[in-house]
Amino acid sequence: MSRVYIGVDIGSVSINIVAIGEDCELLFRLYKRNTGQPVELVKEGFKELQKELGAKKEIAGVGVTGSGRQLIGYVLGADIVKNEITAHAAATTFYYPEVGTIFEIGGQDSKLIIIKNGIPVDFAMNTVCAAGTGSFLDHQAIRLGIRIEEFGKLALQAKRDVRIAGRCTVFAESDMISKQQYGFTKPEIIKGLCRALVRNYMNNLVRGKQLEPQYIFQGGVAANEGIKAAFEEELNHEVIVPEHHDVMGAIGIAILVKEEMERTGRGTSFRGLDFTRDDFYTDSFNCAGCANECEIIRVKANEEVIAMTGDRCGKWSGSILNVRDSEEKHA
Amino acid sequence: MRVSFPYMGSTIVYGKLLELLGHQVVMPEPPTRKTVDLGVKYSPEFACFPFKVIMGTYLETLERGVELFVTTGGQGPCRAGFYGELHKKIIQNMGYDVDFIVLDPPWRDYEKFFRQILTLKGDNSWFKVAEVIHTVYKMCKSVDIIEKLITTVRAYAGDRAALNRSWRDILTAYSQIETARDVARVEEEALRVIEKYDIKLPPQEKRIRIGIVGEIYVVMEPSINGNIEEILNSLGAETERSLYLSTYIDETIFPWIGRKEKKKLIKKASGYIDLNIGGHARLSVGQIVDFKDRGFDGVIHLKPFACLPELISESMLEKLSADLDMPILSLSIDEQTAEANIMTRLDAFVDFIKYGKAYSKERVSLSV
Repeated sequence: MSRVYIGVDIGSVSINIVAIGEDCELLFRLYKRNTGQPVELVKEGFKELQKELGAKKEIAGVGVTGSGRQLIGYVLGADIVKNEITAHAAATTFYYPEVGTIFEIGGQDSKLIIIKNGIPVDFAMNTVCAAGTGSFLDHQAIRLGIRIEEFGKLALQAKRDVRIAGRCTVFAESDMISKQQYGFTKPEIIKGLCRALVRNYMNNLVRGKQLEPQYIFQGGVAANEGIKAAFEEELNHEVIVPEHHDVMGAIGIAILVKEEMERTGRGTSFRGLDFTRDDFYTDSFNCAGCANECEIIRVKANEEVIAMTGDRCGKWSGSILNVRDSEEKHA
Repeated sequence: MRVSFPYMGSTIVYGKLLELLGHQVVMPEPPTRKTVDLGVKYSPEFACFPFKVIMGTYLETLERGVELFVTTGGQGPCRAGFYGELHKKIIQNMGYDVDFIVLDPPWRDYEKFFRQILTLKGDNSWFKVAEVIHTVYKMCKSVDIIEKLITTVRAYAGDRAALNRSWRDILTAYSQIETARDVARVEEEALRVIEKYDIKLPPQEKRIRIGIVGEIYVVMEPSINGNIEEILNSLGAETERSLYLSTYIDETIFPWIGRKEKKKLIKKASGYIDLNIGGHARLSVGQIVDFKDRGFDGVIHLKPFACLPELISESMLEKLSADLDMPILSLSIDEQTAEANIMTRLDAFVDFIKYGKAYSKERVSLSV
């Protein structure tokens, strides 16, 4: 029976699950739109995974990343729960040892990761505004009546340049509307938008940082050829979009969990594939222990508390074993 | 008279000072979500974050019958210097009958300062005042020593929750002291308690030490900066701040004690920021260089959203990071800050430092 390692990336727009083998080869990949019920989607995802991999594989480690990593980490009994910046860097340095710069644009955030000699050394993440991320593009595609998959290709057909204000999503939208009313075509407007987004990315994330090739562009938005072209124009250099650009975070966390399990030699804490039959739900209460009045979030599996979080002092999260008595004391 | 003050860092120290002078102290509670909401509601939108939180704290403590607030003004071109006056105006406009003493550095107006001190002194003899100041100063130094120890060993503690509980008990013990001798006793007891945890520091090259610099309020107040030191500790990194209450006191009240340190930092900041641009901006830059000189692995720079001086020091970070070959992460903090977002950045920041350390070790062994 050969070992597989599972990586799960719970993003704001998509939920991705991958399985890799002993040589980090990709055995399974799934990209699912996040419709807001991550636990159900992960359950469905694992059912598909089970069907595809069959019974001959042993799950030797599970890692979770992405903005929703905490909850799913508890649900799965994950071996590692890690931020998506580290996960993306791990996947990219595996496929492209020569990488110098990673552009990652996802559903609600964009990141820049600087790599030197195969080691991630610096990063930046968008702070105040979500302009230029996947959900904004989704919204604009719907408004223009174009499928998001076609969106980028259309930009390449533009014959003229039109400048769209990209600083803020609201202003970008009103600028697009006014340019439409002037009679610019859809491809021209989309191209203008792509360039505005890249300009915005350069101003907010790159700032003064020195960028070195190879340039790798990943995340859900990397499927957009218009943005890729705009990056290439801005950098005057080739930009590479990896084959599995949309699930790089999941691949990265799978690689990290594989390394971790091999290094420590411990067994996985994964709940087992039967978790798809369990009922999970969360509730919360306010701790009255001190003036902070933290909102404690409690995750339950079939009525049994499996995790607590949200406390600043560690009174609840640090002591799952004592949950029952402290709850009584609390009452 | 029922007296209160803004909440920042080890409030027991200010509380103690006023209490030992015979005032009836209304201790402010650590700011909560509710405090912040209340403060934001009654503050100008573009005031910086500390103004809003302190506003909330004032309004909450007012419900407990405060007659006098004591706060500090400021010097130099940072607008926090006006905040005491502005708080007073807003609160009095809201119809509260409360007085304010805004302590400005004495050399700006000796007469006013002297009058304010007389109010606070009350019926105490000058000898008593000197004794109280001595006790509180000692206590302040002592609390800071213990806190530095906590943020070092907590990175390796097996049971962090228990250690945090002990730390809270230690602070309670400090809040009950009356004389300088009590301070020494509580400190010894505290060291004994921490020793019981039997936490062993790893060898020097494996320790990860992170310095925290920036605007004083967000650097010093854990309930505002999202407990950043504890989060970093839980990720396996030790922390030390650029500012502790005793550094602040040395700097503002006993400038002759803090002068040497300040001069050193200003020298280290030279070439980056050569003018006093208000707040701690120039010192923040000096402290970043200082942390590097002391062998720290990274620095986190904190600023309240819309803080003017720290916005300027932030623009130096890229260059500093390259010159010093040290990662620096800047975080902006205000009522909109999402904890998950900060957590992601801190987690990645510590990871990258770990990778860098592992790599440089490898490089050394390759060259041998």
